[in-house]
Amino acid sequence: MFESLADKVLDLTGEVAYIIPQAIIIVAALLAPLLYFLTKNGKIPAIVSFILAVGAACVCLGYMHTKTYGTAFGLFEFNAFSGLMMCLFLAVAGLTIFVSPVHSETTKHQGEYYALIMAATAGMMFAVASNSLIGIFVSVELVSITSYATVALKKNDPRASEAAVKYLLIGAFSTALTLYGMSMIYGALGTITLSELGYRFSEVGVNWVVLMGSVALIAGYGFKIAAVPFHSWAPDVYEGASTPVSGFLATASKKMGFAVLFKIFFALFIFAQAIQYQPIQYIFAIIAAITMTVGNMVAISQTNIKRMLAYSSIAQAGYIAIALAVMSQYAVTGAIFHMFTHVVMKGGAFVIVAALITAGLGENISDYKGLAKRAPLVAAAMMLCLFSLAGIPPLAGFTSKFVLFSSAIYVNGEVVTEWLWLILIAVLNSAMSLYYYARVVKTMYIEEGESTEKLVISKVFMVAIALCVIGIIVLGVYPQPLLRLCRTAAIALLGF
Amino acid sequence: MINMGFFLVLAAALFAIGLFGLLSNKRGIVSLMCIELMLNAANINFVTFASFKSDATGQVFVIMSIAVAAAEVAVGIALMLNAYKMKKTTEVDKLSTMRW
Repeated sequence: MFESLADKVLDLTGEVAYIIPQAIIIVAALLAPLLYFLTKNGKIPAIVSFILAVGAACVCLGYMHTKTYGTAFGLFEFNAFSGLMMCLFLAVAGLTIFVSPVHSETTKHQGEYYALIMAATAGMMFAVASNSLIGIFVSVELVSITSYATVALKKNDPRASEAAVKYLLIGAFSTALTLYGMSMIYGALGTITLSELGYRFSEVGVNWVVLMGSVALIAGYGFKIAAVPFHSWAPDVYEGASTPVSGFLATASKKMGFAVLFKIFFALFIFAQAIQYQPIQYIFAIIAAITMTVGNMVAISQTNIKRMLAYSSIAQAGYIAIALAVMSQYAVTGAIFHMFTHVVMKGGAFVIVAALITAGLGENISDYKGLAKRAPLVAAAMMLCLFSLAGIPPLAGFTSKFVLFSSAIYVNGEVVTEWLWLILIAVLNSAMSLYYYARVVKTMYIEEGESTEKLVISKVFMVAIALCVIGIIVLGVYPQPLLRLCRTAAIALLGF
Repeated sequence: MINMGFFLVLAAALFAIGLFGLLSNKRGIVSLMCIELMLNAANINFVTFASFKSDATGQVFVIMSIAVAAAEVAVGIALMLNAYKMKKTTEVDKLSTMRW
């Protein structure tokens, strides 16, 4: 039944069929402000955007189910990888939009708010689908520029305007670096099509122009994924922005950076199933090791929960960067799987923080004293999210970390010791991270708060939190279906 | 015919000037101008390579990146204005309250 439907869509629209998911989201981005100005009611654009996001996700899943893969206009490719990543972005966008109408920090400029979130989502979807540097550059800029504006939308808060200016300056700097790097690669290899990069590089051989371009690209997109030493914007922005937006940036925007890095560097450095230039792996390995260590160390001393979560997501970016160092099919599978589990656990943690802010609680960890008595369900959910982030079995974070870490030792069917040091650092970091996650749990469960009155949490928040908790548990105990999808996506990305 | 190297050195010099300005300057608006300089350095690179390789792709890239840079500055100025209304300054050091 699905097959015939997919055939009909292809007959009707031709190549356009492969960008229908993005087109739906662009329609949502245009409809949201229109509906808001017509009705002056923030709930209506939220509902419409949410329905369209779910619709686009259904289209993606339908295409993936019927294996309707192809390229639109030679620019935007729909394959197993881009389809799966689009589902991830749509899930995050859906979660963000779902909780925004009831969140106390996002009551102003609602029309623009949903339009910007949807435009950023469309940019992410185009970025993972692009098969040339030009498409990647423009799509990533679409995400960046809308993100700056979304951060600043929390008006009347000096922290938000400060965060937006910092984000803008650092983001624009990274854009300039990226563009310069792309121009170097274009100059040396004479092409901007991803599928030709590897072949041209093998012809030209290792030369310093390509390497300089690659370093500029690593720095440029290193800002997007908040890898140390390009991470300084992340804590400020996540603290300053309204909480659903912080969650959106921490989960979706960062994953887009990784997807783009995967696309460019695997296309450039892997040719005929072999890695063309080994030192690039060590560059990524060192970045991964530094990122996770700095992220976890600084997170220990944080007193603001959003800032702590920001540093924890810097550390998680370090874990995902292991796949960039190892560059094997198993590692990329683990990285994509970790992106999904990161969405449910980090997204869940940010939704819980948003729910507690709406209920009148502060952002400091000390405000969470005695939370277990004031809001027992939310405290339990927060505990699950944090333990999953730390990687405690049987939660999702453990499963994905297990796949990711073991992939570095078990490369292409044999045990190698090359990356043993990286995995040792990663495991030690995981242990270290438990300290600051457990501290929050201790504050919630053991310490006595001044007030013991019950907190009123909106039902919408409870539904969103429940979805995240279900995701954490299901992905932890039954990861096989998603892992299989991630494996297909990794094969589509690497070509083997 | 002028050697391709001259154009590339010009671009690299522009990029370096922009980078120096960005790192040494504390005023937000001037930082935006420096970033613009760096973007244009990359554009010169693209146009040079495109013209010496007789390949139009690089020139298309430049048109795209000019449009992107314009959008970036428009949003950037708006954000600076927002920060100025809030704190009466656009100097990054004075804006900064969040540390670590």
